[in-house]
Amino acid sequence: MNVEITDLTRRFGRTQAVASVDLDLGPGVFGLLGPNGAGKTSLLRMLATVIPPSSGTLRLLGRDPGSYPQRRQIRRRLGYLPQDLGYYPGFTVAEFVEYFALLKEMPPNRVPAAVATAVERTGLGDKARAKLRTLSGGMLRRAGIAQAIVNEPELLLLDEPTAGLDPEQRVTFRALLRDLGQRATVVVSTHLVEDVGAACSQVALMNQGKIVFCGTPEELTARAEGTDAAGDAPLERGYSAVLAAARTGTEAQS
Amino acid sequence: MTTATAPVAPAAPARPRRVALPGPARLLRLELRRNIMPWLLPLLAVLFWFVTYRPAMANPPFWNVRSAIVQSHTMLAFAPLLAGAAAWAGSRDRRRGVADLVDMTALPRWAGQLAAWAATTCWAEAIYLAGVAVLYVVTAHQGAWGGPLWWPVAVGAAFVAASCALGFTAGSLLPSRFTAPVAAFVMFLALAGCAFALQANVTYAQIWPLNVQGALPSDSYGIFYPYLPDLPITQLMFLAGLAAAALGGLGLPTAAGGRWLRRAAAAVTAAGLAAAGTGVVLAGTARLEAHGIVVPALHDAASGRPTPYTPVCSHTAVPICLQPAYRALLPDVTAALGPVLSQVADLPGMPARVTQVAVTSVHAEPSNGIGFGGPVISGHPPVLYLPLAGLTLPGEGNTPATQFIAGLRQQDGPSILSVLVGLPGQIPAQSGLGGINSIPNPRHFAQVAVVDGMVRVLGLGQPGPLSTPIQHGTSSGEQQVLAAAQRFAALPAATRHAWLVTHLAALRADRISVSEIP
Amino acid sequence: MTAAQVGNKARHADPAPWQKTGYWLAGLRLARLYAASRRAATCLLVLVACAIALRTALHWLPRGGVYAEQIPITIEAGAAAVIGVTTGSPFGDPERATGRWLPYLRLVAAMALAGAAFGALAAGSASQHLDGGTLSLLRDLAGFTGLAFLTGAVLGGALAWIGPLGYLAITLPALAGHWTTPWLWPARPPHDRGAAICAGLVFTAGLAVVTVRGARAWFR
Repeated sequence: MNVEITDLTRRFGRTQAVASVDLDLGPGVFGLLGPNGAGKTSLLRMLATVIPPSSGTLRLLGRDPGSYPQRRQIRRRLGYLPQDLGYYPGFTVAEFVEYFALLKEMPPNRVPAAVATAVERTGLGDKARAKLRTLSGGMLRRAGIAQAIVNEPELLLLDEPTAGLDPEQRVTFRALLRDLGQRATVVVSTHLVEDVGAACSQVALMNQGKIVFCGTPEELTARAEGTDAAGDAPLERGYSAVLAAARTGTEAQS
Repeated sequence: MTTATAPVAPAAPARPRRVALPGPARLLRLELRRNIMPWLLPLLAVLFWFVTYRPAMANPPFWNVRSAIVQSHTMLAFAPLLAGAAAWAGSRDRRRGVADLVDMTALPRWAGQLAAWAATTCWAEAIYLAGVAVLYVVTAHQGAWGGPLWWPVAVGAAFVAASCALGFTAGSLLPSRFTAPVAAFVMFLALAGCAFALQANVTYAQIWPLNVQGALPSDSYGIFYPYLPDLPITQLMFLAGLAAAALGGLGLPTAAGGRWLRRAAAAVTAAGLAAAGTGVVLAGTARLEAHGIVVPALHDAASGRPTPYTPVCSHTAVPICLQPAYRALLPDVTAALGPVLSQVADLPGMPARVTQVAVTSVHAEPSNGIGFGGPVISGHPPVLYLPLAGLTLPGEGNTPATQFIAGLRQQDGPSILSVLVGLPGQIPAQSGLGGINSIPNPRHFAQVAVVDGMVRVLGLGQPGPLSTPIQHGTSSGEQQVLAAAQRFAALPAATRHAWLVTHLAALRADRISVSEIP
Repeated sequence: MTAAQVGNKARHADPAPWQKTGYWLAGLRLARLYAASRRAATCLLVLVACAIALRTALHWLPRGGVYAEQIPITIEAGAAAVIGVTTGSPFGDPERATGRWLPYLRLVAAMALAGAAFGALAAGSASQHLDGGTLSLLRDLAGFTGLAFLTGAVLGGALAWIGPLGYLAITLPALAGHWTTPWLWPARPPHDRGAAICAGLVFTAGLAVVTVRGARAWFR
């Protein structure tokens, strides 16, 4: 297992963003769904070792991120694309990806080839020398994906990776995800259920910091049967049905 | 967007194999390319020209003068702007919203920040050293004697690094839009405050990086004697300590790296603070001596030995010999002193030669001013040792040669004559035109009258010792002195000269009274 | 309620819009939000700190000395630099694509902060001996602030400080060298008309540019 989470919790002041999450993930593409404020980004940031958990156990790639030397080893094998991607406008695409390759302590002799590969895989080969300030939103997103995959990570965390991509690019991106998922654990947090359906072998649904569903996309679809859940697609209806049940259960408890 | 199974592109023509740069070098190269400093280059170039190059070129080509201007003027303009720009560079990650992205990478955050600081400092040093190089090349081309002085340049370079370190740390810790201007403004205030403290004779203020050997005359250091490194060493210690403490402070937060790295950062911070503190303490022990500022704990006696040189001399009856750095002034000095020396030609004890020397003694005056000793006659045969300190040299601020000649004659003429007639504690060169009250002993009235008479003959702008008119009600002794001076001045030159030949020894021995002066 | 909605409503209603309390309240709220987006409160705090620094310096500095001239001018330049960086917008294009209020907001904010800076420094120098007096304070501060506005228009609000502080680096040697050009107004006597005109021109030009165009959104 690349990701082993036991009773993981994260609080921000009085707000409990992530509440007692249990999850075990191996190689493959894992989708993370949920409404706004469900705790997806906070969970992803903990997996990215950006913030520590408030309580619970977290093991990534067989290592404890609480220990600095092990955290450093995890980070060498980690790729992360945040929801709000910051960037240096004056950098070119290649420089931006190279910068993060170096920060991830990739062997220097491998960096140029890795940068070129990452830039090509995200379809920015002809924009490699363009400054980031000249790119469209979708291209910037792809540059962000490129920096996340430059070190061929064993654990890849993507928060809203397809935001700004056109449908054709989204299709190609899903193929990339499936390819990456053959070797690594890829966690994709998204609002677009069709991305989950097309690329993910497993999906979890979060609501109010808790995981209210964990299974395959087909199982999520099946949860809509016999309900009048809203949605234009089977997966959307399954999503709505699970959320509705979770909220009903929450209201019943309160 | 392609997947891993995309067809391979046709092979490009073989390119020469390049040596792969190590990771830190690649990171530094990236940071150098995208640093803000190049945007400041035009402004810094203009400032260097305005506050350093122009004032330097307004002075004659002496290495010590020009290097002092480099250290004192350049940093006053550069340091605040560099601190502000470095603060801007330090706040970059937070401003750009990439803080999370860079914080979660494997490279310790401290290492990444040091790379960004190093790039900022490299550009700043390059701009500074380029300006210094231009100035020094021009100075060498103008034929300055001796070699370039590097200690002032080193202090300036250290100040560049320290300014960047302080600014960068401020920007990293406080990534606000106000940090850069406040950092620059605080640096301006700190420089002004330290200058004020130095002027107010606060001892520890000697550490002020813009302080170049105090307010000593320009020939005191780097010409007759080596440039004393004591003060620059303490300044380097202080500046390096400041930079280390600031940069070490960046490595202290938890996000900066692992436990051992943070301990190393703490050690660097402590060492930096210790070095800076030691520099300040050492500067507090500094004392002003004739040839520079001496820090006893650092002073090497060998650095107090005079710099050997072959003087350049005029071909006159009384040769005037100057240190070769001043060879361009030889005609002017000869023109200034020639009439004075002709008044006393062939007199007993008349100096056989005039030799320029460095300032022999200094003493502090109010407001951090400096007073120093004047001409001295000594040796067998007698030699007049003459310092040229305290004068505005030709070329300094558009000073013409005629002004220098008049000034030299005005300043040193009476002093030379006073020394010749043996006035005790010879009238200091710069205050040689004090009133008669500066000669308290009536035994010396005759000497005062003789000197004053000869000064009147030479037509100097102000009479010698009797610079203030004798007022009504002044004592009869003083009136006698004035009358004797006027009588002596009115004598024919031959008569005056003959009297001096026969009476000079007695005059020096205080055996001549005012009434005996013809 | 947005300012645009208030304006639309005002066009179709009696009595006149300016007689409606809501209109003014919305305008005040807009001004407050604009000031908050520019960190005006922090700027004011820094200006107060500048005033305290000025008072402290004037208390300790001997009258008539070179530092009695240089340090107050340095503080004035610092105050102007801080005002300059407030011209930078955190929003970029979305703000520029709004209605007609933005230039007025820029103008009012710039004038208010410049006035606050003058008031703070004048208060800081009250009952102390300020070389050149309040007249030279006003002139120098106006000139420095104009430079900050002009620099912000070229390089962006975040780098607007480079103008006044770079100019200060030239001014300090000019003070020592007794330069006479009116374009180095801090080196001129307080009643020098040429220097006042130059400083006023720079301030007016900077204010006009920052009102019409705002700070450049280049270096954020």
